[in-house]
Amino acid sequence: MNTNLKISNVTKIYPGCVANDNVSLEFNSGKIYALLGENGAGKSTLVKILSGVIIPDEGKIYLNENNLKLNSPLDAKKNDIGMVFQHFNLFETLSVFENLIIDSDEQRDSLREKIDTIMKKYNFSIDLDIPVLNLSAGQKQKVEIIRCLIRSPKVLIMDEPTSVLTEQETSELFLSLKKFSEEGILIIYITHKLKEVMQLCDEVAVMRRGKLVSVSEIKNENIESLANKMVGQNLKTIKKKKANTSSDQLIKITNLNFISEDPFETNLMDINFSVNRGECLGIAGISGNGQSELFQVLSGEIISEKNSIEFNNNYIGDLNPQERREYLMAFSPEDRLEQAAIPQMKIFENVALNNFKSSNFFNNGLINENKIKEHSKKIISDFNVNTDNIELKSQFLSGGNLQKLIIGRELITSPDLLICFNPTWGLDVGAINYIHETLIKINEQNKSIILISTDTDELLKLSDKISVIHKGKLSKIMNAEEVTSEKLGILMGGAN
Amino acid sequence: MIIDINFIGLIIASIMASAVPLILASCGELITERSGVLNLGVEGMMIIGAISGFALMTVTGSLIIAIFGAMLAGVLISTIFAFLTQTLITNHVATGLALTIFGIGISAMIGKNFVGIPGKEFPVLFEGLKDTIPLLGPILFGHSIVFYFAFALPFITSYFLKKTKIGLIVRAVGDSPESASNQGINVRLVRYACILYGGAMSGLAGAYLSMIYTPQWIENMTGGRGWIALALVVFSTWNPIKILIGAMIFGGLTIIQFHMQAIGVRIPVQFLTALPYIVTIIVLVVISRDSRKIRLSTPSSLGKSFHKDN
Repeated sequence: MNTNLKISNVTKIYPGCVANDNVSLEFNSGKIYALLGENGAGKSTLVKILSGVIIPDEGKIYLNENNLKLNSPLDAKKNDIGMVFQHFNLFETLSVFENLIIDSDEQRDSLREKIDTIMKKYNFSIDLDIPVLNLSAGQKQKVEIIRCLIRSPKVLIMDEPTSVLTEQETSELFLSLKKFSEEGILIIYITHKLKEVMQLCDEVAVMRRGKLVSVSEIKNENIESLANKMVGQNLKTIKKKKANTSSDQLIKITNLNFISEDPFETNLMDINFSVNRGECLGIAGISGNGQSELFQVLSGEIISEKNSIEFNNNYIGDLNPQERREYLMAFSPEDRLEQAAIPQMKIFENVALNNFKSSNFFNNGLINENKIKEHSKKIISDFNVNTDNIELKSQFLSGGNLQKLIIGRELITSPDLLICFNPTWGLDVGAINYIHETLIKINEQNKSIILISTDTDELLKLSDKISVIHKGKLSKIMNAEEVTSEKLGILMGGAN
Repeated sequence: MIIDINFIGLIIASIMASAVPLILASCGELITERSGVLNLGVEGMMIIGAISGFALMTVTGSLIIAIFGAMLAGVLISTIFAFLTQTLITNHVATGLALTIFGIGISAMIGKNFVGIPGKEFPVLFEGLKDTIPLLGPILFGHSIVFYFAFALPFITSYFLKKTKIGLIVRAVGDSPESASNQGINVRLVRYACILYGGAMSGLAGAYLSMIYTPQWIENMTGGRGWIALALVVFSTWNPIKILIGAMIFGGLTIIQFHMQAIGVRIPVQFLTALPYIVTIIVLVVISRDSRKIRLSTPSSLGKSFHKDN
């Protein structure tokens, strides 16, 4: 039975932004379709419209010539449209089986049988009776896929499914998706990763700033042509020069452990590494393997034993972030709007938060506004932050501009070491390029970087040495030239 | 000194009777909180239930109308809370506190005309069986229907949450309203229902106080029991069976300290009166120490407003 899905003249407008501007597309079963675009291009809005989460201002959806009224996710389900969201829609404290039975009308036993059949057929192995929070990201995704398959969908939409997966898990997912496609399920695959589009899909639709830019067959495209369509300009590629390997040690971590009381956190076990001046150490891993805990331990948000961290010949393991900054360390946390900046505060006020004894932002307990504003203006011009209003609240800066501001705030005091965690997460290509250039510049000035990132390509591009974190343990430290993304993938999955 | 074994039975029965309003209100609030809503208005809903029950009993003379009327009053006042927090997306904590202040005030106003009026006797069940078994007789028999309902409620609540589909949906909404909404569950409807149910149980708890436990109306007669009920929910880590244990300890100490005061034990009265509150919380903290279990049973979205954006 053939499935035909048609999106006709869909428009969705948010205050200040047209998320979908008159988009029309047509899909047929038997093929895998890619919907490609940068963050903010409108692809997520489009698939949320298809899954009933968002109601469009204008436009119609047809499934096999029937006009669908998708006013709620329930309507999408009833019409056999299944969706796996980028941020999982699972109930962490409920068991896997409870997660699956909650929106099913079947009896416990018959549902269990059905799930077993699906798992056998596609080679999934998941314990149905443990809470979802104990599953890995890949397993959680499989639970989401099973949830869709139970309803035997005609259409399956995958929103950025590989952002949390290892290389191995990704190739497993691709095999499953191809199998689903052969069985007649129409697959729409949303991504901003070009490689995946080339590997998996038959046709590709590119979106930019809410508009549909092109629809074409994969065989007529290559990575460069798609990249240019996606960004709308020709991109220069950045290449890092090989670092002048000094043997001057800057930071040394010895036998660092962190045991957490919270079952949602990962314990760190026996962490040992050192970074030399002018070097970038990359730490790879799938998110949730202890990166956030490692960042907090390094930044001083979590305090450890005094002797476990040696920086510039001082033992600083028991110091808080402010005290560590005085020793010329700098930090750029993962969550820009929660950890790095306070959204409701103005740009210059956020700058003042990074306060040094030497910066004289405060006189006798009073705020020295002129001094701070002068300092903020320097950051904005030095680091290309695209605004001239330092009174603007930080929440109104785009992700890229906010990240430039944060990196600028950290770097303007020329620290010896910058520790950053997913610095380009969710940014557009232009901003990513700028951040990468800045990081390379730091190394050229003989300053060091610890780069914790879930983006393998970024790590390979910027690091001199790479280690992989898995379940709170670090792998041995490798020279970046000897490492390939395949090898990293294997280590990220936990193999030796 | 020989103590009559039936006297011990009577003491245990009176302990259980004083635990009844706590069990009712806590089990109601537990369902509300499991759906992610923090309603601090339990004290206010209870006292509204107390005055409504007593007033309806005096005016209509019907116990059935009075009991159900008190539950309905609890539902009505919690509807205000539900409308404010779920439809107008106000802050749960502030709205709940306002509800308590409102309840205490309005109950005192209505209650002016009912002060000093004697209550009615509430029928008890199995009275004749009381003397058939020593010790157990007075414990098991001769209580009101509300009493039996209260002691069944923790088990019913536990079964409801663990074994039924609707219970699962309630837990899911409390865990992640966003996911639930994306799954097509009507989060607002579920939360409304849970708030109203909590209101009904608080109303019933109040009616038990003014109609059965001490059949009369006294201003502010709930005396902080609503707050203890709230504390029981949290310190029991949202487990109905532990609520039962906590309510029994609290009830037990309340009764025992009365007797100790009567006997004339030389401990300051203030300390004795405070004892049930302190000991109940300490015991519940100790039996619920497992941080992993706490994390698993705490409704992740508790007290957070959910606003579906479209």
